[in-house]
Amino acid sequence: MQDAELAALAQAGDREAFGELVARYAAQARRLATAILGDPDDGDDAAQDGFLAALKHLGRFDPERPFGPWLMRIVANAAGDRRRRRRVRKTEQISGRQAAATPGPDVETDRQRFRIALQAALAELPERQRMAVVLFDAEGYTHREVGEILNVPEGTARSDVFHARRALREKLEAWNDWKEEG
Amino acid sequence: MSNPSPFDHRRDPELGQAMRDVLTPPDEARFVARVVAAAESVYGGAVPSPMLNILTAWARPGLVAAMLLIAVAAFSAGLWIGRSGAAVTAASPTIGDPLVDSGQLAVPALMAGQEAPDVDVVLAVAMGR
Repeated sequence: MQDAELAALAQAGDREAFGELVARYAAQARRLATAILGDPDDGDDAAQDGFLAALKHLGRFDPERPFGPWLMRIVANAAGDRRRRRRVRKTEQISGRQAAATPGPDVETDRQRFRIALQAALAELPERQRMAVVLFDAEGYTHREVGEILNVPEGTARSDVFHARRALREKLEAWNDWKEEG
Repeated sequence: MSNPSPFDHRRDPELGQAMRDVLTPPDEARFVARVVAAAESVYGGAVPSPMLNILTAWARPGLVAAMLLIAVAAFSAGLWIGRSGAAVTAASPTIGDPLVDSGQLAVPALMAGQEAPDVDVVLAVAMGR
């Protein structure tokens, strides 16, 4: 069943249809909210806020347009609201671990260190660039859709993705040899 | 990670996968259940059901129809009361009749009449005769 059909059913009170929409977009929504807030628990709270806000305003969804960008914009707004309401704690903690995140002899440990290094690199990006690169490279949205979600022109979204990628590449340069060996 | 270019429309699958690995929290099924449970608070109030939509759509014409019915009923009742009132007036006895027939004078009898009582009758009631 298409997203628009599920949305119409959910709006009419069909709980299962809403559950199906949540299941389809839970991973994306949680990742985006976590990327914005830097903490998975806060991200889950924000993603839930986003889903409930979307449910309340399903009447405003245009079924002629894709559901994903509409929902992701609401989730991004919900995460932004949460960020404004509370201080983000974990972002600084992740950044603090960056010094230790360099390749070593143990592969499994290095894998974990790479994850930490990537988290730290993402946390250091400006928020809009972080959202743009996650939406484009991790979630598969087009530059135009990224622009719609972030409420910026397509060219700005394209520029944000480019600058975010370049910054990530620079910060993770030490890991290139390790990955090639692995 | 490949070297990016501002003109590159392609995605970087390696970077994308790495970010998904880093950002994906565990327990997706639990999260879905939690959101669906929380949605009950929304469904309990604001989300309109199909039946509510139908009732809402009929509310305005229903109110107009009800007002018209009330107006017609009130008009009809007014006519009926006017006719029956005239008949009652014509058939009702004067205040003097029960006084004369029963010989028992009382205030309720005075109040029940359709016409103003005679002064002598009122005085007789007041004096207890």
